[in-house]
Amino acid sequence: MLSAKPFRAACSSWAVLMWTNRLCISKVCMSTSFSIKDTWHCNRNVRSLLKARGLTCNTNQSSTLWNNCSGRSKVSCWSCKQPLDQTPAFFCVSCKVVQPPEEGTSYFKIMACDYTFTLDTQQLQKKYLQLQRLLHPDNFSQKSVTEQQYSESQSALVNKAYTTLLKPLSRGLYMLELEGMHIKEGTESAHSAFFMELMEINEALDEAQTPEEANKIGQDTKGKLAELTEQIDTALRKGELQNAQALLIQMKYFANIEEKVKEKLCHFM
Amino acid sequence: MAVPVASKCLGSLSLLSRRLSAPEFTTRCCYHKKVVDHYENPRNVGTLDKNSRNVGTGLVGAPACGDVMKLQIQVDDQGKIVDARFKTFGCGSAIASSSLATEWVKGKSVDEALTIRNTDIAKELCLPPVKLHCSMLAEDAIKAALADYRLKQQDGQQEAVSASS
Repeated sequence: MLSAKPFRAACSSWAVLMWTNRLCISKVCMSTSFSIKDTWHCNRNVRSLLKARGLTCNTNQSSTLWNNCSGRSKVSCWSCKQPLDQTPAFFCVSCKVVQPPEEGTSYFKIMACDYTFTLDTQQLQKKYLQLQRLLHPDNFSQKSVTEQQYSESQSALVNKAYTTLLKPLSRGLYMLELEGMHIKEGTESAHSAFFMELMEINEALDEAQTPEEANKIGQDTKGKLAELTEQIDTALRKGELQNAQALLIQMKYFANIEEKVKEKLCHFM
Repeated sequence: MAVPVASKCLGSLSLLSRRLSAPEFTTRCCYHKKVVDHYENPRNVGTLDKNSRNVGTGLVGAPACGDVMKLQIQVDDQGKIVDARFKTFGCGSAIASSSLATEWVKGKSVDEALTIRNTDIAKELCLPPVKLHCSMLAEDAIKAALADYRLKQQDGQQEAVSASS
């Protein structure tokens, strides 16, 4: 009969480990001074803590980001079967063969960016070029069909990640999606003062007779968009997701005006 | 062997021109001729006096696509819509939907105009599924205009009551 002692010893060490980690987690959460809604910063700190300890996250979060940060089941190289230790793993560390994209990897991880609304777009572009230099299908024309297919998928995904993260509007909307919030299809008529302002700007642009007039509207719109960008950054830092969504919706309307300004200026040329 | 080929290929940004988009379903970008007709020859573009007691103004927006639509109705003393105008800033389907909406409300009573459904608009214009929300925007614009008109009538009646007492 097996002695129960080692088992009990193992259990108690595990219990101590869990207890220690629980304390650490609560300490981290307290130090980030988050409210019940402020999952965003807490996610980041808890995530790195748990990853460092190789623990899984027990959470109801629907965010794919959680799924990616957890101690996921080991993925192996399709070619040499060695474990892929990185996320995302574009190439196998052992045999250097290109890997298929892992489903659910966040665009922030793919582009090696911090999960924040403010982003260095120059760094993003640098990373984009670096990745495409490695992954572009032109590099794989002499490789196997499987590798060509994987490089196409990876290259397309990097394009998608780059274009999504490049602009504040798409970046912000993507961040909300990661937190499970989507803009519903539908109409709104509540904020009539806001819509009246939009109509006036649109009408003024429509009636603009000179490029200078159109440019003036363009400058005002840019200013408005910069203001909204700051407000959205603040809202996301504080975890005020509903507020961030409302601001991103406003940004959508002004982004449309910005597009129309460009079309109008082209029309004058 | 791939490396020298790669370095030759990757001289400059321009060589990254063979960009691939993520495998997404892309619809054929093709407007129905009825939509094109309304877009190129929109009916009833313009503005009515929003301060007039007989004018109802509906102002709506679609957050998902950023379209804005203004639809105004002018109602006579018998409750019949005698004029309608619209201004829409958005895609061709949104413009066509609101143009058609102004055509349809003219000649109807305020109660009859309430029965106009987005599905009727979408059917008439043969809108694809991805543009159904444009017809919804037009229906909501009609309703908003009618609601604004009713509110003005109620306010007017209350004023008349308090004036006479």
